[in-house]
Amino acid sequence: MTMEEEKKNSGQTFGIAALIIAIITFIIAVIPCIGLTAIIPGIIAIVLASVGLSQVSGNSSSRGVLIAGLVIGIVASVISLSQYVIAGKLVGKWPNSIENIIEEVQENVVKELKDASVSIKVENGDEEVEINVNQRKKDKEQILEELEKGIISPDDTLTGTE
Amino acid sequence: MIHLPEQNDLNARAHFSIRNDTYLICNLVFSGFILMLFMYFLIFSPDRNNYPVVCIHEKITGQACSSCGLSHSLSLILRGRIEEALRWNENGIAVFIFFVSQFFLRLFFSHYYVNNPDFRKQLIVTDIAGSSLIFLLAFMPFIINIFRWL
Repeated sequence: MTMEEEKKNSGQTFGIAALIIAIITFIIAVIPCIGLTAIIPGIIAIVLASVGLSQVSGNSSSRGVLIAGLVIGIVASVISLSQYVIAGKLVGKWPNSIENIIEEVQENVVKELKDASVSIKVENGDEEVEINVNQRKKDKEQILEELEKGIISPDDTLTGTE
Repeated sequence: MIHLPEQNDLNARAHFSIRNDTYLICNLVFSGFILMLFMYFLIFSPDRNNYPVVCIHEKITGQACSSCGLSHSLSLILRGRIEEALRWNENGIAVFIFFVSQFFLRLFFSHYYVNNPDFRKQLIVTDIAGSSLIFLLAFMPFIINIFRWL
């Protein structure tokens, strides 16, 4: 086997390896769950294709396979990197979304409490204190309306809060 | 000496070696890869939930991604539990069809490649175009997802 044939064969072997790894990497890179890991085989495919290209002569037939491996490897690595960018964006957004959820819950609680009746009971030995607060918005509005119409006296309004 | 077309064809097949042909090696490796993938989905069970590969995306971001449940879905499809598979990941069926079609296409194209030496270039071009199209159709939701977030 001549030196040229040897180079051609090694170029072809590098080309096949690069192309296969690049195509598999491309499929992996598109899947979000494992796309982040595709950067490693992507780099391997690029390195293999580059080494192969440096070994083959200018008009070798295996050059096409090597170029295909290199291009697909680069595209797959770029897609994998984009998955990193997406993950980075989501990590940045995640605390914000937690804050939004907390704010939403807080608003709901405050809204609910506005219309709720609260009862607090404190016991200390024989002593017992019970505070009942009726803060229903509708009730308050009704009392206000009744006050305006003069149906009830102002003293009666204290019955709502003890 | 006059060579008849049939004789030429026979000579071409006789001098044919898998070891020297990039296309056939690639087809052989991809067929093996797809078979290994199916073995993985058959060995690991969706009922026992013993998959060694976890969603790295979910680990980092804390949010489930569009491919979460894909392993479960493919395992369930292989076991014939289609409805359950769709509940795990609705894209599972498209990905499954992609891998099955690729496995049979590798075998078919390899057979055609060996038996029709005059049409090899056309066959490779058709294979690349066809496989790319099937890939895009099967993985479109994941690709759209990438562009949506970027």
